[in-house]
Amino acid sequence: MNWNSQDMDTYFQQKDYIDTLLVPLLKLETVPEALKGSSSATEFLMHLSNFIETQFRGRMMVLPPFTYTQSTNLQEMGNVLSKDLQLMDFKHIFYLTTDRAWTDVDIEGEMIWLPSIPLESMDQQLRKTVIEDQLRQVLPLLTNKWTE
Amino acid sequence: MSKNRVSRRQFLSYTIMGVGGFMASGTIMPMLRFAVDPVLQKSGEGDFTATPQRVDELTETPVRVDYTIVDRQDGWYKSDESYSAWVYKSGDRIVALSPVCKHLGCTVNWGGDKNHPDQFFCPCHAGRYEKNGKHVPGTPPIGPLDEYLVMEKDGYLYLGGTRPNTLV
Ligand code: FES
Repeated sequence: MNWNSQDMDTYFQQKDYIDTLLVPLLKLETVPEALKGSSSATEFLMHLSNFIETQFRGRMMVLPPFTYTQSTNLQEMGNVLSKDLQLMDFKHIFYLTTDRAWTDVDIEGEMIWLPSIPLESMDQQLRKTVIEDQLRQVLPLLTNKWTE
Repeated sequence: MSKNRVSRRQFLSYTIMGVGGFMASGTIMPMLRFAVDPVLQKSGEGDFTATPQRVDELTETPVRVDYTIVDRQDGWYKSDESYSAWVYKSGDRIVALSPVCKHLGCTVNWGGDKNHPDQFFCPCHAGRYEKNGKHVPGTPPIGPLDEYLVMEKDGYLYLGGTRPNTLV
């Protein structure tokens, strides 16, 4: 499911089946030297979360990315998210990010960290293969939680 | 009292008509858009999209065929949209099934469940379908997988829109 009103209606009807929340965490760097890398990481993260959404839309609600800049205190942000996202009655919460710093943050739910891959130089088919390979890495994390 | 005074009831009916009129224009507007905007109109053959799949390479075993519709304009977001189909041969007929699970829309895989290698499997709630797309009773899906319209051109497979399953 996507965070739009139409999918939300389905969510309310089928709440029992849609028990997982996927939260992309997106670092937007603002110093000129970092812009290119940051935008490339954004593309990667958005492609990946879109892809996961199409594969698992009947089980997952995928949120719009939470975006922050380089000076953000991640632990504080993590505390806020842990607290607020709990209110939404999901059984599993997964965070998806390319920012390694999140692996040191204490947060409610599972952190999935993947290094960003520059997709911009790839053609459509290769891009798809790369994204699928990445998904294959993530898959056991999801399915293990689901079958727990 | 002046005869022209708008009674309370009349006033109400004006207001309601006013709102009603507004709502009607809301429903007519999008219809007009469809009528006027050629991009939104369905055209016959143009609806088929080429895939990289050669027809003579198809067998009885379903394979995943990926294809892309280039430059779809979706609001402010311009993108190439990727689609997939599960395609196999059944006698002379080419069957192309939609991978979209009829339960809640996840993507199904052929042979995704070790215990049922000859079925389609949905990883979300363990939904299963037979090879012809028929859903297996007792699993969550409520109907068979949709079927794509298929066409062969210069040896390659072309896929059109989906329709309800005709094989089940
Ligand atoms: S979405 Fe496929 S079984 Fe539920």
